[in-house]
Amino acid sequence: MHCTIEDLVALRDGEGSVWARRHVGECADCQAERERLYQRVAQLKALPTLRPPRDRWHAIRDTVVAERSRKRRRWMRSGLAVAAALGGLMIVIPMVQSPTHAQELAIVKDSSAQLETVLRDYDSDSRVMSGREADLTAQLEDQIAVLDGQLSQLGESARADAQLVDLWRQRVDLMQQLMQVHVTRAKYVGL
Amino acid sequence: MTLSLSVPDILVARAKTGDLEALEALYRAFETPVYNLARRICRTPEDAEDVLQETFLEVVKSIGQYRGEGHLWGWVRQIASSKALMRLRAEKLRMTDELVDEAAGAPPPSVAAGIDLERALEQLSTMSRAVVWLHDVEGFTHEEIAEQMGRTVSFSKSQLARAHARLRRLLSPAAAGS
Repeated sequence: MHCTIEDLVALRDGEGSVWARRHVGECADCQAERERLYQRVAQLKALPTLRPPRDRWHAIRDTVVAERSRKRRRWMRSGLAVAAALGGLMIVIPMVQSPTHAQELAIVKDSSAQLETVLRDYDSDSRVMSGREADLTAQLEDQIAVLDGQLSQLGESARADAQLVDLWRQRVDLMQQLMQVHVTRAKYVGL
Repeated sequence: MTLSLSVPDILVARAKTGDLEALEALYRAFETPVYNLARRICRTPEDAEDVLQETFLEVVKSIGQYRGEGHLWGWVRQIASSKALMRLRAEKLRMTDELVDEAAGAPPPSVAAGIDLERALEQLSTMSRAVVWLHDVEGFTHEEIAEQMGRTVSFSKSQLARAHARLRRLLSPAAAGS
């Protein structure tokens, strides 16, 4: 009984059975068959390289450019919508007349939450930015993080306190600046 | 294959920013090996050209996800083989293949008279040809092939053995009869 082609392929891949390994060591026919297998694989690797008959880069580039234009138009539309929303917020917030600290706090927190949602939907982490934009974004995010730390320290003890309202206002202001970076970029760069 | 497939890191970095010149340079570096792989797997040159285009559209879209772990060619090759195998699946050739392969117990006389390896490769079923090329030439493991094909490791191994058995018959009919 000789090795099957499965046995020889498995042996070549270091997975053969003990019996197959021992048999090949003793059988001239199977050794010859194994040699033919090696030669066949070597010939496969030596087959001439097939080259593309036509240049497909132009078709690829055209598709990429068209896709980028489509995205640019989409982001311009959404960027303008975000700008309009920001404008609305900036008008509405000052119109609130002499609210108590608690009311004022509720308003700025709501504004902050809305901006968080817009920024999250924008998914800035997956977008390409210039170095300057990335630096500006990082600075604003760092400042927001510092404010969050201060807000966390004040905690419940300072509920409705003027200092708390002021910190939340600063946070909204920073987030508006952050949003402005993205909106400007979406409008002019289209990425 | 003796093509140089090394790509400067700076070129990859530029491609990640969406630079079209850098992306074209990547295309020029890999178009031939990608087409060669696709052509060995697909039935027609037109299919292989489509795989070439689909592969590079995917490269453009996903280059940002390439983390520089391993050779870039390995990453591109993975995409190319995946696209080529997807095309095979889409064409629903598997069932036909199996029937053809089952019926191919002995080569026809004109084939038995002796053909070269290139033609013998074309005589294989698409699945067997894809597996023998991906495993023995491109260096994919059975696990990788099975994952890309959506089949088992045993399937990949059996297709490889069938491919070699058939190639042996086609290339040396006299020896095959012994």
